[in-house]
Amino acid sequence: MIPIGIIVTFLGFVISLLSLTLASSVTGRMVLVLLGLAVSLFGILGLLNRAYNKKAIWKQG
Amino acid sequence: MKELRNNLLVLAIAVLCCAPIGWAQAPAGPQAPPPAASTPPDAAAKPIVETDLTAIPVPSADAHAKGDPDGNSTGNASDVTVADPKKGLTIGDVANQVGQNKIAINFVWTLITGYLVMFMQLGFALLETGLARAKNANHTMMMNLAVYGIGMFAYWLIGFAIQMGGVGAVANLGGTAPLSAEFTTTLFGKPFGLFGQHGFLLMHKGTYDVGVMVLFLFQMVFMDTGATIPTGAAIERWKFSAFAVTSFFFAALTYPLFANWAWGGGWLAGLGTNFGLGKGYCDFAGSGVVHAVGGVSALAIAMILGPRIGKFTRDGRPQVILAHDIVLVITGCLILAFGWFGFNPGSTLGASGNGNLRISSVAVNTMLASATGLLGAMFYMWKVYKKPDASMTGNGFLAGLVAITAPSGFVNPVGAAIIGLVAGVLVCISVAFIERTLKIDDPVGAVSVHGVCGLWGVISLGLFADGKSNYGGAWNGVNGSVTGLFYGDASQLVAQLIGVATIVGFVFTVSFLFAWVIDLIMGQRASAKSELEGLDLPEMGAMAYPEFELKSPSWRADSNG
Repeated sequence: MIPIGIIVTFLGFVISLLSLTLASSVTGRMVLVLLGLAVSLFGILGLLNRAYNKKAIWKQG
Repeated sequence: MKELRNNLLVLAIAVLCCAPIGWAQAPAGPQAPPPAASTPPDAAAKPIVETDLTAIPVPSADAHAKGDPDGNSTGNASDVTVADPKKGLTIGDVANQVGQNKIAINFVWTLITGYLVMFMQLGFALLETGLARAKNANHTMMMNLAVYGIGMFAYWLIGFAIQMGGVGAVANLGGTAPLSAEFTTTLFGKPFGLFGQHGFLLMHKGTYDVGVMVLFLFQMVFMDTGATIPTGAAIERWKFSAFAVTSFFFAALTYPLFANWAWGGGWLAGLGTNFGLGKGYCDFAGSGVVHAVGGVSALAIAMILGPRIGKFTRDGRPQVILAHDIVLVITGCLILAFGWFGFNPGSTLGASGNGNLRISSVAVNTMLASATGLLGAMFYMWKVYKKPDASMTGNGFLAGLVAITAPSGFVNPVGAAIIGLVAGVLVCISVAFIERTLKIDDPVGAVSVHGVCGLWGVISLGLFADGKSNYGGAWNGVNGSVTGLFYGDASQLVAQLIGVATIVGFVFTVSFLFAWVIDLIMGQRASAKSELEGLDLPEMGAMAYPEFELKSPSWRADSNG
């Protein structure tokens, strides 16, 4: 789960970067950048943090 | 009779003491007449010629020998360095002196504000130590001390060259011309600056240079501010050896890489010239470069370390672990706010020329945002939790400062106040979300204050920049003033969001990878035994407060009979 989380987080950055070439309008670029940001946040909070919380110290009694 | 004599004596002394004050406040002689209204404009604009210089009256050596109590004759034309004594004072000599004075003003300004930023290390140390328990105070103070040395060493070896090695000539500092090699690749048909190549050890490729030294000192203390942010999120459980290695990598690579992209002539700064996005990614003093980068690194480390023992119950409910000294916490906050007057106004890298008189506006914006941040957090906590919590009010104070750091040079006072107010409320919501929903233990709120509010600061610049600032007529190589969405330029907001996406997607990934690999190799977290005992003795070998005896309530009841 952790390697996947790292890849997804980085993928979000790549999507934001690609907005520079995939779109030429300000609105189009903004949408792509926000999409990339959302993907990165999912990687961090939805995948990496969840992976660490599964084996959290407070769950081990 | 004796009493009357004493009273008269006191009265006479008082009159004698007050007299000079009265003289000092009196007008100092006749005022210079105003310029004659009949003077033709072309005569006023007449260029200086060599004969004008020889006509300047200079006090004689005899006059100097008598002293200068009123200070009117010290510092005059005779103090201008003359290149050729046979020719005497020339226009060239005067022009050189004026130029050097300008650069000297900028050097002194940048150095002194750099010293103020260095003082912020104490603020961080007190803030974090106050929020830790007494049994971890030595360990927390030591992390804040050691990060200064570790960070500086790594930055001197590698970091500065990566960050600033290709920045080119910084006009305010008289050149810094040796910093001229940026490694650049081509992406989407445009040049992408990735890292600098000159300045390793401050000796490489002619970087043993007075202007480069000023730039190094100022940038070093900024980097060290960023490096000390993760320690706050990791207190009470971070193994000291792992902290040392992690901090080295932060100062050598993670921070300098993003700082190069934003400040060193890298690709984010070039978003304006290459892709038409406003003036490129703008970050006046580092809400993104320093605070958000430190904040996302803190998040990565806090996730890998996991929460402190006892922070969450078995069903995941967060428990309050009390700060051991709220006096230290608030003292630390106030020291940080004082240091911020170096952080933001100092980021002009000068006080003379190129629109640098904006330093007054930057300083006032900084003050206002700290006030509204404080008020936002205080009233939020008062309303929601029924008490104006001191540590969260302190966090709101800092959140306002963090948020205004990026836009401080580009917004007006009303914009600054709104940015600070939003940050003050945002930090309270973020602290609760990170603790209750994400189950991440961040004892000082570093991720919320620096990470979340740092990102808000970057975005707010893209909204509130009012297009009135003018630092030499251009920013990041694009002519004109930085202007945000509310003042007509939506593309600036896109540039800011690309910066945010880079911090969240790239910087977090790099920070996490370093911390993860270090965790796999040597372990990031102290043992449970050390943590329960407190890290002072197991990790540092000495307690911060050796005279303290930690006594249980039952013992106290017994001893009181």
